[in-house]
Amino acid sequence: MTRAATQPAGRPIPRRDGAPRLTRVVPLHWMLLLPALAVIGILLLYPLLRVLLLSFQDYGLDNVISGEPDFNGIDNYVQLLTDPYLWRIALPNTAVFAVVAVGGTVAFGTLVAVLLRSLGRVARTIVLSCVMVAWAMPAVSGTYVWIWIFDVDNGLARQLLGAVGLIGPEGFNWFTERLSFYAIVTLNVIHHGFPFVAVTVLAGLLTIPREYYEAALLDGATAWQRFWHVTVPTIRPVFAVVTILSTIWDFKVFAQVYLMPGGSGTNPEVLNFGTWSYIRSFARQDYGLGSAIAVLLTLILLAITVIYLRSLFKDEEFE
Amino acid sequence: MTARAHRRSGARLTGAALARWVAVAGVLLFTLFPAYFMVATAVSAEAGSGTEVLLPEALTLEKFHFVLTEAGFLLYLRNSLLVALVTVVASCLLALLAATAVARFRFSLRTSILVMVLVVQMVPLEALVIPLFLQVRDLGMLNSLIGLSVVYTALAVPFAVWMLRGFVASVPVEVEEAAYVDGASWGRMFWSVLFPLVAPGLVATGVFAFILAWNEFILALTFLDDGDKYTVAVGLRRFFGPYTNDWGAMMAASTVITLPVMLFFLAVQRGLVSGLVQGAVKG
Repeated sequence: MTRAATQPAGRPIPRRDGAPRLTRVVPLHWMLLLPALAVIGILLLYPLLRVLLLSFQDYGLDNVISGEPDFNGIDNYVQLLTDPYLWRIALPNTAVFAVVAVGGTVAFGTLVAVLLRSLGRVARTIVLSCVMVAWAMPAVSGTYVWIWIFDVDNGLARQLLGAVGLIGPEGFNWFTERLSFYAIVTLNVIHHGFPFVAVTVLAGLLTIPREYYEAALLDGATAWQRFWHVTVPTIRPVFAVVTILSTIWDFKVFAQVYLMPGGSGTNPEVLNFGTWSYIRSFARQDYGLGSAIAVLLTLILLAITVIYLRSLFKDEEFE
Repeated sequence: MTARAHRRSGARLTGAALARWVAVAGVLLFTLFPAYFMVATAVSAEAGSGTEVLLPEALTLEKFHFVLTEAGFLLYLRNSLLVALVTVVASCLLALLAATAVARFRFSLRTSILVMVLVVQMVPLEALVIPLFLQVRDLGMLNSLIGLSVVYTALAVPFAVWMLRGFVASVPVEVEEAAYVDGASWGRMFWSVLFPLVAPGLVATGVFAFILAWNEFILALTFLDDGDKYTVAVGLRRFFGPYTNDWGAMMAASTVITLPVMLFFLAVQRGLVSGLVQGAVKG
């Protein structure tokens, strides 16, 4: 489709149609790309290089003021990787949470997509609009709503569970326990993230030709078999996209943890990579170690991204 | 035999239909409840406890009045609006030019640029916030809303390029060729032919950029420490103290910042969805 590029007369002619002919000093496509690439380079790529350099430095408040670097080799990484806090708290809070949240988001989103497909047009539009409400809710305000629902003193959860006798009059602090803290974060993240999965999978489902199902029906396939042998393989690329994008998003949740009681540093039990790095840098003025944590998180995400690119390149005519 | 079989399948159908509507009700409850609870808390006269606001007995708009005037939320709204508008205009413009380049021209490095655009979106803000803070601080641009907008533009551009690329590619090349046949220059063709045809994509991209700027938290939290410069996402923290939580005001403010995003979302959901799918899936 896009392969047949335009050939404006007297303009740069696409390369595949022959030897490149430079009709200008700078070809048009580079002039079009330049502003975007400049912004990305200065504000995304250069900072990325800088955080890498910072992670090899002892960078505290005095360095911020003087601007002089204090390189200390791999000290930050040694300190980081030998810290039991990383292995016992921060890594599980990041990775186990991400696996559970992604699984929940993709499973629930897919169920909702299948449900949406089975509805008539009007009902589907109405339900879809309601599902969008969850997506549209800003993470910040959504997080406060969940905090309010689970408020220790007057929250809805405490009162309802108290009314049926599941928790006593002394109440329960959901936010101090790591497990219940992350259960709330998971609920929050699934609620916010499932609409993207539902909508994307639904779009995929709607592209499957009806004939596939008719053929499967003729062969006597049950609904479950039709789902596993027709639906899933046909929209496998869509599943790959939503799973990997959700994984990337869930690895770097920040506001949903930071805004919760204790999430901004007062309860070290509940920090994940993002909040730990942030608190190390800005609350404890240890930018070097904070950068090392951030680099570690970036490397994990980069690894996931490589998997993403592979699945994308394999499935598409992406050239 | 036929009559019985019919009756059986009829009963199964209504059973399935019932199960389907129960499932729909469950999904609606889950997806709408937080938004309902937020608004209910904001408008109920008594917001002392969770069950009190579940079905508010007396309604009031007083909390909105308090939040917007006394608590200074009107100022935060203005700040956020300024930041979001600059981000939308700048990122749409830059992304449309770049998307045209990658969708319409074949050149060496094209694939590398596309991969870079994709990879750079995965970089966590937690990693960027430290160097960006030092950079912005050295430039003396902390507390500058324009400085914040420029950073947001950079964050929005990669995804915007990725998304618009699909829209530009779906415009038939023949349409452009017809413009050249009529004697249009490249610039003329771009503004008079391509631009209107990708307008739906631009709307979806603009909404995406708006929401990014409106919701962004970590950079705003780090760059802005002057209360007069707060954006809404940071301003919300003012109601949340360690010991006293004014939940009524908090939820009223949350409602105020959620509304514009929700309206935008509902208005462009079709474009947004097809944009996401084109951008993310079609490659």
